[in-house]
Amino acid sequence: MKNTGCEHEQFVLRALHTGQWTQPLRRHAAQCPDCTQALQLAEALRRQAHHADRLCTPPDPYWILQRSRRQARQLTLRRVSRLLAAMRTLAAVYAVAVAAWLLRGYAALQFREVASTLPGTSSGYALIGAALAAACALAGLWPILHQSPRP
Amino acid sequence: MEDAPTIAAWLTPGRTQTAAGEERFRQLYQATSRPLWGYLHHATGRPHVADDLLQETWCKFLLHPIPQMDEAQTRSYLFRIATNLLHNRSRSRDDAALEEPTECTAESDEATRLDVQSAMRQLKPRERQLLWLAYVEGMSHAEIAAVTGLGAMSIRILLYRARQKASQILRPQRTEP
Repeated sequence: MKNTGCEHEQFVLRALHTGQWTQPLRRHAAQCPDCTQALQLAEALRRQAHHADRLCTPPDPYWILQRSRRQARQLTLRRVSRLLAAMRTLAAVYAVAVAAWLLRGYAALQFREVASTLPGTSSGYALIGAALAAACALAGLWPILHQSPRP
Repeated sequence: MEDAPTIAAWLTPGRTQTAAGEERFRQLYQATSRPLWGYLHHATGRPHVADDLLQETWCKFLLHPIPQMDEAQTRSYLFRIATNLLHNRSRSRDDAALEEPTECTAESDEATRLDVQSAMRQLKPRERQLLWLAYVEGMSHAEIAAVTGLGAMSIRILLYRARQKASQILRPQRTEP
């Protein structure tokens, strides 16, 4: 059972589009019911296209160029900010690793011996200074670690 | 006649900054924007959606040009981008939105044309696209396969079915008094 149409249909349609008909193709199109039906539909659709062409008011190419350049800039920015985000993450990991290493080293010190050589008020100030430094480091890390990526 | 391989080459991001690149772009735009708009309008049924998709098609084309293409391949590439945008749009919204009838203008008094228009509304978006590419743009089956991403062998069958369906919808309308 024939259910895929005529094999010459695309050549008939191409001839209709380009206007380059050969005599055998023209004879075939007149005799073949599939090609006749295709030609009728093609002519109806081409009338639609002609009507649509009158409705069409394409925007000025200048605006298309401007829009594409803006999109290109946004794309570049997105790529750069992705790189910056990766660097920020690496920096945060490095900061945490250094902090951990320093704390471990500080704990290993003979703290009591060091503290005993200092007068009472000096060791108190040193502890307050260390606590303040840790608080500042944490305050700085907090926004870096919790900054949400831009859409 | 245009130098075949140079059209898209001129349109690479750096080249469009030059006056010659812009002129090339304008020529290509003038030659292809109306057929593209007609295709998008036929597929979506809405002029303003066709406007948006036309702009988006060109922007995508300018962002990712392929320098080795000749004029016919460039045209085919533009239709492919437009078809992909149509698919993205139909995936992200409900298909019913695409099925709304187009607005009628004072000039649309030709009964046959309106019959065809309403018949096309009853076809699936893919069928409308195939019929337009084959019957209006005169593309070969291989070109349609490249534009739609479908297999070249299945185009003939799909086109045949779409044509049969369109003819069946149109036949009773035309026989009415």
